[in-house]
Amino acid sequence: MVFKTLLRALHSPREVCAELGRNDDFPPVIELFRYPLLLVLLPPFFAFIGATFFGWRLGAAEPLYFDLTSRIVISFAYFLAISFGFVSSVVISTWMASTYGASTSLSAHISLLTVVCAPLSLASVIHLYPHVFINVLVLIPAISWSMALLYRTLPLVLDIPPERGMLMASSIVAWLLVGAVSLLGLTAILWSYGIGTNVRI
Amino acid sequence: MQSEVLTNSPDERFDDAVVATLVGFSVAWAILAMAVGVYLSAELIWSWLDFGQPWLSFGRLRPVHTTGVIFGFGISALMATAFYSVQRTSHIRLFMPRLAWFCCYGWQVLMVLGLWSLMAGWTSTKEYAELEWPFDIAIAILWVSFGIVFFGTIAKRRIRPIYISNWFYGGLIIVITMIHIVNSLAIPVGLSKSYSIYAGAQDAVVQWWYGHNAVGFLLTGGFLGMLYYFLPKQANQPLWSYRLSILAFWAFTYTYIWAGPHHLHYSAIPEWVQSLAVVMSLILLAPSWATLINGVMTVSKAWEKLRVDPALKFIVLSLAFYGLATFEGPMMAIRSVNVISHFTDWTVGHVHSGALGWNAMITYGTFYFLVPRLFNCELYSTRLANIHFWLALGGTMLYILAMWAAGVSQGLLWLSVDEIGELQFSFKDIMASMAPYYGLRLVAGMIFLGGTVLMAWNLFMTMRSGVIVDRYPARVESEFAMGSAVRMPS
Repeated sequence: MVFKTLLRALHSPREVCAELGRNDDFPPVIELFRYPLLLVLLPPFFAFIGATFFGWRLGAAEPLYFDLTSRIVISFAYFLAISFGFVSSVVISTWMASTYGASTSLSAHISLLTVVCAPLSLASVIHLYPHVFINVLVLIPAISWSMALLYRTLPLVLDIPPERGMLMASSIVAWLLVGAVSLLGLTAILWSYGIGTNVRI
Repeated sequence: MQSEVLTNSPDERFDDAVVATLVGFSVAWAILAMAVGVYLSAELIWSWLDFGQPWLSFGRLRPVHTTGVIFGFGISALMATAFYSVQRTSHIRLFMPRLAWFCCYGWQVLMVLGLWSLMAGWTSTKEYAELEWPFDIAIAILWVSFGIVFFGTIAKRRIRPIYISNWFYGGLIIVITMIHIVNSLAIPVGLSKSYSIYAGAQDAVVQWWYGHNAVGFLLTGGFLGMLYYFLPKQANQPLWSYRLSILAFWAFTYTYIWAGPHHLHYSAIPEWVQSLAVVMSLILLAPSWATLINGVMTVSKAWEKLRVDPALKFIVLSLAFYGLATFEGPMMAIRSVNVISHFTDWTVGHVHSGALGWNAMITYGTFYFLVPRLFNCELYSTRLANIHFWLALGGTMLYILAMWAAGVSQGLLWLSVDEIGELQFSFKDIMASMAPYYGLRLVAGMIFLGGTVLMAWNLFMTMRSGVIVDRYPARVESEFAMGSAVRMPS
């Protein structure tokens, strides 16, 4: 059911946004958060499985294999980072809303970010085979899809004119770009302190 | 409106022909220098593309690309927009207009001969300062001439306050003069060769003091001058906070000048110099983002203009990439990040997130705004401008993502050791495996270049359909006026 809803978000974002948080089987808060929870669990889960069976394939002849502890540390750090990314994006989006005259309803922003992140999170299935270039080839269209969903859905969900939505979506893109590069920076810092990988400095 | 014009005497009209000429040259250099960049990215995949010719080799064409983009495209655009805005904000025509024409054509001659010399193998080997000593002298003369025109206009101004864009353009002119002259001091041993007067670690420190402040005061500060004048004009809104812009200028100027040695981590320079550069780089985030917030808040009120003005989209996106680049830079200055990222394609991606996403986009947005106003006509095609926008965005994103992935892979593989502590992978094998990413970069470059060609056609057709009209200084309110500014039209 949850997967089905997320898959529908790829092509019918407005309808899915309207549905989120309105299922009578669960209290609204749980209903609202169970989708994002799945979204942030999928990438580290796939990354763990992929690293276990295939190792990291970065282009060099031999893949990099890690012991169990390293794989758990890397996957857990990945989970924490993207969880922080999701929550902070919701907070930033809600904070920005008043500037652009958009709805400040927290549930609307959680729904919006859930829909926007769905393509990226579902595409992370490619982490099952952690060849970096193949991952890049799959994730670039997924990022484009997410950006298209952001620009298309934001004015509808937050109830503002499309031009104003374009401005707000661009501000969120700026934040997401900073978030993406922070993920890289954080990764580099962990590596250079010997957490996760076996690099020597 | 006629009633707001100070005077319509022919002697008082703004010098806009030189602005239009510089815009034309800037677009031409953009196409040429970006095409060289695309060719270089193809050479990194198919090395035979140099056809065994030294002048087509990567080592010679790379400075042609960087010099062409920064000095040709960038400085022509900065001269154009500085000349345009300083007249409007000073309510007076340019000081010594013939000197402005000398700067305009002199700079283009310098570029043609300079790029030719780089292809011939003349090089000082200093990054972003490869031109040899005869060209360094020519740059100094032309740059000082630019300063005389600019500051002369400010000195003659009819309004007391000096608008914030002029502070940034002024900072650009003063700091580039200083760092160019100091870094270029050398002993010539012939027409095509000289040796720096600095040696060893001192040479490295001076070089990156120059290199980083060229990025800071030219590619950041100069283009912030452009942003501070053209963003409120395009949005038809006052700056969100003028006080914040002044604060950002002084914090930016004070902080940036110290940050250069972060290019020299883990090198022979003193460690405290490296640490100081890290601290200053991190502090730099504050003034950079103060400008970002000021820009975003100013444009946020102008959303209705997006319906009719494709140029504003470029400005909005340029702010997003400005935010990215000015965050990524300080982050990469941290030693534990730098040890992974340095010398990898991550740095190349970072540079291009600024160069394509910030510098090129803000310039494109400005040109789409400026050319129809200069030539008193409508933009030839809004549809083409919209297509250009998506090509520019797609090309930039693809470029950055490909280089991030390549760079992080390189950083990890170069430093990975096996169980006995030896490097696990050979440098040659790692670099050979980067070809697919370079393929993506080639596609990204072609997309971005394609958009630039579309813009060139669009602007050319716009220029053809109009003529440069005479514009005159506006009247100044008496409380802000200097000298004869309150005189009404004759």
